[in-house]
Amino acid sequence: MSSKYYGEFGGQYVAETLMNTLAELERAFEDAIRDPKFWEEYHYYLREYVGRETPLYYAKRLSEKYGTKIYLKREDLNHTGAHKINNVIGQILLARRMGKTKVIAETGAGQHGVATATGAALFDMECKVYMGSEDIERQHLNVMRMEMLGAKVVSVQSGSNTLKDATNEAIRTWAKEAEDTFYVIGSAVGPHPYPRMVKEFQKCISIEAKRQFMEKEGRLPDVVMACVGGGSNSIGMFADFIDEPGVELIGVEAAGMGIETGKHASAMALGRPGVLHGMRSYLLQDDDGNVQLAHSISAGLDYPGVGPEHAYLRDSGRAQYVSVTDDEAMEALAELCRLEGIIPAIESAHALAYAFRKAKTMTKEQAIVLCLSGRGDKDAHTIESYFSGKGYMN
Amino acid sequence: MNRIEERLQQVKERGSKAFITYMTAGLPDMAGSAAILKAQAEAGIDVIELGIPFSDPVADGPVIQAASYRAIQKGANLKKIFEMVRQVRSEGCEVPIVFMMYFNTAMYYGLAAFAAKCAEVGVDGLIIPDLPYEEQPQMTKVLDETPGAPILIQLVTPASGDRIPMILENARGFVYCVSSMGVTGQEADFHRNVVSYLEQVKAVSKIPVMMGFGIRTAADVEPMKNTIDGCIVGSHFIRLMEESNYSTDVAKDYVRTFKAQMNGEKG
Ligand SMILES: Cc1ncc(COP(=O)(O)O)c(C=O)c1O
Repeated sequence: MSSKYYGEFGGQYVAETLMNTLAELERAFEDAIRDPKFWEEYHYYLREYVGRETPLYYAKRLSEKYGTKIYLKREDLNHTGAHKINNVIGQILLARRMGKTKVIAETGAGQHGVATATGAALFDMECKVYMGSEDIERQHLNVMRMEMLGAKVVSVQSGSNTLKDATNEAIRTWAKEAEDTFYVIGSAVGPHPYPRMVKEFQKCISIEAKRQFMEKEGRLPDVVMACVGGGSNSIGMFADFIDEPGVELIGVEAAGMGIETGKHASAMALGRPGVLHGMRSYLLQDDDGNVQLAHSISAGLDYPGVGPEHAYLRDSGRAQYVSVTDDEAMEALAELCRLEGIIPAIESAHALAYAFRKAKTMTKEQAIVLCLSGRGDKDAHTIESYFSGKGYMN
Repeated sequence: MNRIEERLQQVKERGSKAFITYMTAGLPDMAGSAAILKAQAEAGIDVIELGIPFSDPVADGPVIQAASYRAIQKGANLKKIFEMVRQVRSEGCEVPIVFMMYFNTAMYYGLAAFAAKCAEVGVDGLIIPDLPYEEQPQMTKVLDETPGAPILIQLVTPASGDRIPMILENARGFVYCVSSMGVTGQEADFHRNVVSYLEQVKAVSKIPVMMGFGIRTAADVEPMKNTIDGCIVGSHFIRLMEESNYSTDVAKDYVRTFKAQMNGEKG
């Protein structure tokens, strides 16, 4: 099998119309990553604009409470509030290098949409963001942010009116407009070379974290973990540790209301391989092979598939994938607020919830490095209605 | 010989152009869908494309997306569509049938089981828009190993360029020439270089060249009539069926008129 695959996963399951476009993209990407000037510019923007490097913060009170060292990789401190911007800077620089003048993106919660709108404003590109009509209702604040940044938010009304449908529509538009338009995919998904590209542009997370941990502890961490929607913050967090066999890698998917209820977003818990959005990977499907709707309280994890490299890491046993329910994630979120004064994104709170469980099996000397992928500002509304519904807030 | 190849050979011998329609299977329901299929066969359609509804029809425009969604809501699925084909074949209907479907539907069914079932009930061809040439070996292998398996129809587009000879090298049945960039149903908004592109395909193709995407009437293909061997109508036909409440008379009339006009006879 060629490098378009991770084992049996990945590939380029797209319409013939896009095959030359993907070939052009792959050539441009391979060329860019061999060009030191490209990296110089990428790192310039990460440093001066995004605010990297992000701290690797030793969460002292959490560590004391749970009996093992917990370090947080603070991606929440990036400009626009999450890891998504790392990838956007890389892809938009590539788009510019290819001479494209327009960018399009899909978004669910709006985080990737906001990051893309931000990058487009910075580099003076026309930007359209595809978003399900359902999500436009739920994530009004981010819609407003994208519009303020000069992007056009296109409401998608087809299928379930959410992220997977917005992605379909972005792919359709791309097939029509690829001549001058670059499709900025927001997670480690899609046809080759996207999963590779997104990993390359998110790798900075683990490269920094590894060095930072080494400086603090003089060794490698025992466990590295991150939440998994499509898999971009997690692949970025894993990347530089994959070849360190002593480091346990854990990806945390959303179990929603519980795997057994069917209302969840854990593609790898029960999913079987399928083809969606140009890739072969684990996919939630019904008995006819139609794609099943995902459910999670966190919009950013609400995706029925997962990036192909994760499917491969799971099957090869290199990484382990677990899942956490809405309730567990919200409890962990509240805990981080109270003990460390950090309001995390609900997505990131999924990784935290599992870290607390995992810590019980670890010693005081061992350490977890966890990717805190984003901040919770965008979730204020969801958090409020969740806790007031539960009567936790007064 | 495969029904598609046989039929297109006859059309060619008569010196005429072939006509193909696409209809999402399971609309208005399974029985109504079979009735439309048989009506078109009676009216002289050369090949029928049956759309297998899928939740995420990424190569389709709004009309087929909506039809696909409605068909799923009404309970259409691959198993029922296999039964429908079996039924119409048992009634003596020999029109060539092509499944237009997304790869996941076949993968979920199991590729070997899928190929065998197609052969058993009498499906003659497959169009899988999200299975480009490079991803086809897994499917072709299974089809080659299954006696009486359908032909995997190849698609080319105005963006295919230097890929065309490779794609057509071993193509069978007909070449599906996509007329525009993007998705199905863009109302005769053909690619700006559509004629030279069609000529380029025709020059290397050993099999009939059929043009599709955005065609409504025979007049739409008048400018390229001398290059192509026929054409395919999808979204427009679905719209006609919806507007006429799935009238089999309207279906027959449309097929007869289109064929006659395309072949320069009085409609
Ligand atoms: C803060 C945050 N974390 C995680 C995710 C999940 O995406 P991924 O798995 O690609 O990192 C998102 C997606 O919107 C997000 O906004």
